[in-house]
Amino acid sequence: MVALMRWVGGAAVLCVIPFLLQPYELDLYRKLLFWVALAISYNFLFGISGQMALSHFAFAGIGAYAVVILMTQAGLPLGLAVVVALALAAALALIVALAATRLEGFYLALATLAFAQLLIVVLNEGGSLTGATGGLTNYRLPPIFGFVIGGPGTAIIMIAVLLATLAILLRIDRSWFGRACRAIRDNSEAAAAMGIDVARTKTIAFTTTSVMAAAAGMVYAFFDNTVNPPVFGIDNAIMLLFMVIVGGSGSHLGAIIGAVLLKLSQDFLEPIVGHYHALGFGVIVVVAILIQPKGLIGMWDQIRARRVAARKRAAS
Amino acid sequence: MSDLLELLVSATASGCVYGLVALAYLLVLRPTGVVNFASGEWAMMGAFAAYVLAGMLEVPTVVAIPGAVLVLAVIGWATEWFTVRPLVERGAGHLAPILALLGMLVIYHQATLLVFGGENYPLDGPFGFNRVELGPFAGTSQSFFIIVMTAVIFVAVWLFFERTVWGKSFEAVAINRRAAALMGINLRLVTALSFAGGAAVAAMAGLLDGPRGSVEVNAALPFAVQGFSALIIGGINRVEGAILGGIILAFAEDLTRRYVPIPSGLALGVTPVLLIAFLLVRPTGLLRAKEAG
Repeated sequence: MVALMRWVGGAAVLCVIPFLLQPYELDLYRKLLFWVALAISYNFLFGISGQMALSHFAFAGIGAYAVVILMTQAGLPLGLAVVVALALAAALALIVALAATRLEGFYLALATLAFAQLLIVVLNEGGSLTGATGGLTNYRLPPIFGFVIGGPGTAIIMIAVLLATLAILLRIDRSWFGRACRAIRDNSEAAAAMGIDVARTKTIAFTTTSVMAAAAGMVYAFFDNTVNPPVFGIDNAIMLLFMVIVGGSGSHLGAIIGAVLLKLSQDFLEPIVGHYHALGFGVIVVVAILIQPKGLIGMWDQIRARRVAARKRAAS
Repeated sequence: MSDLLELLVSATASGCVYGLVALAYLLVLRPTGVVNFASGEWAMMGAFAAYVLAGMLEVPTVVAIPGAVLVLAVIGWATEWFTVRPLVERGAGHLAPILALLGMLVIYHQATLLVFGGENYPLDGPFGFNRVELGPFAGTSQSFFIIVMTAVIFVAVWLFFERTVWGKSFEAVAINRRAAALMGINLRLVTALSFAGGAAVAAMAGLLDGPRGSVEVNAALPFAVQGFSALIIGGINRVEGAILGGIILAFAEDLTRRYVPIPSGLALGVTPVLLIAFLLVRPTGLLRAKEAG
């Protein structure tokens, strides 16, 4: 009951914020929520399942493009377009997963990187279907149950997707499946010896998180009512990886903190210091890996453990 | 026909550049098991180092090329010392060095961008741009220079690994780090030299390719992608695999662009498609590891 109240309270706070913001701040807020949602699902894929895939943004792109194309060019109503787009993303993710999850370590990174690149090529060369390099514009979100959805409305939909992602992944993480994922990450041979179906577990984790990325991408498509290829490219995929590492890979809270910190520092530092902020990212990531591979969350745990130890020593 | 023969020369030259980047990956990957995505940045930085020496300081080419290679070798050495060694000595997981090098990739990229901006810089080849004809084959002098230099580098690296005790010690580390250390091989030195060598070879790729177009920061990602694609196609276990993969990749690209009636943008899909196909069907690449014994 308390847990439920906490979720409702959190959702309420997140949902009130968009109504207090100026249009520019609202745009930053929505995009921040988008990144946080992606970071949460990517953390499950990379941090908990140990799959260094670079296709997460590609699946967000597939979701975004699919829902817009199905709506505007196939003429499907919004609800049906969302369902079909999710099914499409799930099917594609399953195909990639069946092939890619057989690959270990950096081979998986290379294969998913190639997939992401191929998607960008297809989007750029898709003619009128994908709008080529300019992307798709001139569409808008139809009224939902008679409500016309404005800027704050899209933020609230994003919050719903974000919280749903978090709730589902927290639930999965605490189940046998989450423990199986962690076991495979730490030692796949030992996990297999314990009777875990490694390939199947990896495939399910990849497909589930990729569909979650697609769902976030769908909402993103209606932020500015435009989608274009560069957003879903390699640069952002690597940025997402850095967010999870800096925050603390394997920790849900860490992924959220990493995404918020890196996204905000990008938004606020870029206008002031220009390229130096990107240089700073690199430095922060290298320092994080060298000093504390568990990221900021790991540092926090370390400090707390030290305090507890000091208190114990003082007591005895 | 003469059109095809000319294409063969330029495709071979491109393949040599890809092969050199693949070799840069391989030199680091074999003894350490680390795939260094910053190899593409090293190639780009090698081209910039050559530009600074030859273009800005007007040092003669015979000095500028080894100079640029040396600069990158030092950078490679320093990279290993700063980022990889502490992780290896702490016994961090095998992904940690790869991630640290991804961070270094961003640092290299942004630092070069800060100094030189996003502009294109010209780099002169040692023999200018005149056309050379060798029997039925014709191409720019730079193409032939690339092919000759690449052949020299690959033969030298191959001889080093196959014919010298030093090279054998690298091979021993690649096969079994622990056993190699027990045999008295200095793991630290082998690892540091691998990074220095990888950066030097990547620098050669960048500075050889520079005169064919221009020197620019954005060249780094294509170098990185073509390099590891060539490496996977050829096979990660043998030096010959790098050049074989590079040539196959370049021919697939150039022949598609020239003879297959698809938009040039779609031809960019050739590399990822080939890479995915090889990863799925033959992840060991074309050349397998030699049998032990």
